[in-house]
Amino acid sequence: MENANNARLIRKKSSWRKQLIHLIPIPAVAIYSIFVVYPILAAFTYSLFEWNGMTMGEFNNFDNFITLFTKEPFNTMFWNALGHNIYYFVVEMVVQNGIAFGLAYIIFKKIKGTGFLKVAYFLPRLLSIIVVGFLWKMILNPNMGILNVFLEKVGLGSYALAWLGNPDTALTAVVLINSWFAIGFFMLLFLAGLQSISSEVLEAAKLDGAVGFRLVRSVILPMMFQPLVIVVVMTFIQAFEAFELVFAMQGSMGEPYYSTDLLAVFFYRTAFGGNAGDSGALGIGSALAVVMFVIIATISALFMSYVNKKDSA
Amino acid sequence: MKTKKVSLAVLALATTVVVSACGNNNTNNSSSSAPAASGSAAVDKVKVSVTSWRAGDSEVELYKKIQEELNKVAPEIELEYKAVKATEYNTSLSVALKTDSAADIIHLRPYAGTTALADANYLEPIDGLEGLSVFTADQLAAAQGSDGKQYGVPYMLSATQILYNKDIFEKNGLTVPKTWDEMIKVADKLKENKVTPFAFGSKEGWVLSLMHGAIAPQFYGADFNEKFLKGEAKLNSPEFIKSIEAMNSLKPYFPNNFEGLGMEDIRTMFATGQTGMVIDGHFEIASIQALNPDIKIGMFPVPPVDANGKASISTWVDGSFGINKNSKNKEAAKKVLQFMTTETYGSLILNSTKSPSPIPGVSTDDELVNEIAQYSATNAVPYFAVTYLNSGSPTTKSALENALQGMYLNALTPEGVAEEVQKSLDTWFKPVSK
Repeated sequence: MENANNARLIRKKSSWRKQLIHLIPIPAVAIYSIFVVYPILAAFTYSLFEWNGMTMGEFNNFDNFITLFTKEPFNTMFWNALGHNIYYFVVEMVVQNGIAFGLAYIIFKKIKGTGFLKVAYFLPRLLSIIVVGFLWKMILNPNMGILNVFLEKVGLGSYALAWLGNPDTALTAVVLINSWFAIGFFMLLFLAGLQSISSEVLEAAKLDGAVGFRLVRSVILPMMFQPLVIVVVMTFIQAFEAFELVFAMQGSMGEPYYSTDLLAVFFYRTAFGGNAGDSGALGIGSALAVVMFVIIATISALFMSYVNKKDSA
Repeated sequence: MKTKKVSLAVLALATTVVVSACGNNNTNNSSSSAPAASGSAAVDKVKVSVTSWRAGDSEVELYKKIQEELNKVAPEIELEYKAVKATEYNTSLSVALKTDSAADIIHLRPYAGTTALADANYLEPIDGLEGLSVFTADQLAAAQGSDGKQYGVPYMLSATQILYNKDIFEKNGLTVPKTWDEMIKVADKLKENKVTPFAFGSKEGWVLSLMHGAIAPQFYGADFNEKFLKGEAKLNSPEFIKSIEAMNSLKPYFPNNFEGLGMEDIRTMFATGQTGMVIDGHFEIASIQALNPDIKIGMFPVPPVDANGKASISTWVDGSFGINKNSKNKEAAKKVLQFMTTETYGSLILNSTKSPSPIPGVSTDDELVNEIAQYSATNAVPYFAVTYLNSGSPTTKSALENALQGMYLNALTPEGVAEEVQKSLDTWFKPVSK
């Protein structure tokens, strides 16, 4: 009797304890709500109001969005920046991910010194991106930078351009630097994908005579479908939220002459004011943030649903 | 994902708002228990708080001196100096004003910055304040509301002029030019002798409007500002286009690859003696000297096109001090502002900040700074972009900067620059009707 009572008590106590488990996520949910959910909702709200400097004015429907898409200079800046983001994505897909895959493949083939190479390729990723920007700004300095000094020394002085000051080269330079920075990370993603392919399949393919490029194209890439999509989505997000490098190297105006302007830089300048002492237009800035959110969320979701469909098929 | 970051920034702003609102509560305590700073211990002390974005250590020292001098004329006033980091100043001030917890005396951002606060009815008009008459109309314009009333006492000036390397001038047998043509001859001579005439770069937009501000007045003429305000002259009027063409005409005298150079490069080139001259703000002098303590810098105002013309340096008021409309110590605050119009105060500012004071008749031992200060008193013209173009979203000032950048990249003609700038101006500017 006594024992049974005790057992019930213990059971009761433990079931109460079990309920306690639901409280554990509270801190995480609270932090997530304050720092993620609330700001997103706030940006949505802000985008529907008029703003005078830091003061919220009257509800004005979709006026901020209409301004963003129809009024000079906002509309020109928007399409200009969007084009640059797409260029950013394409170059990263080709250069950064192409090289990253090549490197991952070399390491996968277990040539000598893979351990060292893995670390070496990943190393730039460990630097702060602001430091990376500053470093490359010095390397690319038109008159004192090591690149142009080198070009002049080897007789290619006519190619010693103002890389970051010329609208034709500035954006490409910045994207390539970002690629250099991110290659190590994407190489690891590819490497993980390669290592997930079972060695029996590779073995069988080789016995069937698939070697070299054929092996990569017909066996490895199709089997890496899922990691590939993750790479594409991550590259897409990286390209569309790119900000720091341009801000560090080209300033908040996307200099020179808006040739390195990106959506996020345009947002920063519009919402908080550029370095020229603007007071900022928080309403239009918030509208732009909402548009960016919609672009990134929609396209990422489309990618992912495509993958899921392909997976279940 | 970006939105996440972006919203974080928004939240960070919101937090600043809350924090600064909490931290600013006891501003107006008049305390009689405070220790007497001067000899006359019998007077009742009045505490007057001052807020500013100038937050350096030297500023704290400066306020100790100001306190000392102030107590010679107003022994009862005790200043309480509250500095806020420059980048957060606007936000924290606007919150403090809204929650009625702002300081008694407020450091006002010049021109459009002051107008916004005055129009929002946060500031006390100070028209008729004793001593205001020492300032010029251009200087007073930096702290007025749309109603034309005066809301602030100009604090210090920034000045853009031409700095030159004395050693290089001597070595090449050059003297300070008196006209624009003479200056071009000086530049030609330097170029012949393989010295880059001007340190210049167009990678950073603000540098361009700064330099335009210095040389343009010699081309658009003395009466342009007034005509512009009345709507009789536009930014695509021939005289303004001439000022942009003048910027373009200096191109052959700029360093190689100048489109990739920013202020850091400009400073380095001039400091290391690679260039003979630079069109530059007085605030760069300290940095140039820090790079090369041995450099001998001279200055001259932008020479006139016409030999009979007047050389000019471009100045603008870098902030003013005004009174919080809800201050409980308005009378004491007015006394402080009155003190801010005196030569004693001007001399303190000049010697401590190495920036020209708008108050005439003050001087300093630093020869170069003193020369700039004297020209600021006699040959000043307003920095056009800061004075008149700093409104709109984005501001017309930044439109000018970008268009000039486009011109140096051969994407725009001077006429094209003028059209772009006028287009931006049309979004907000209304001429003063007479």
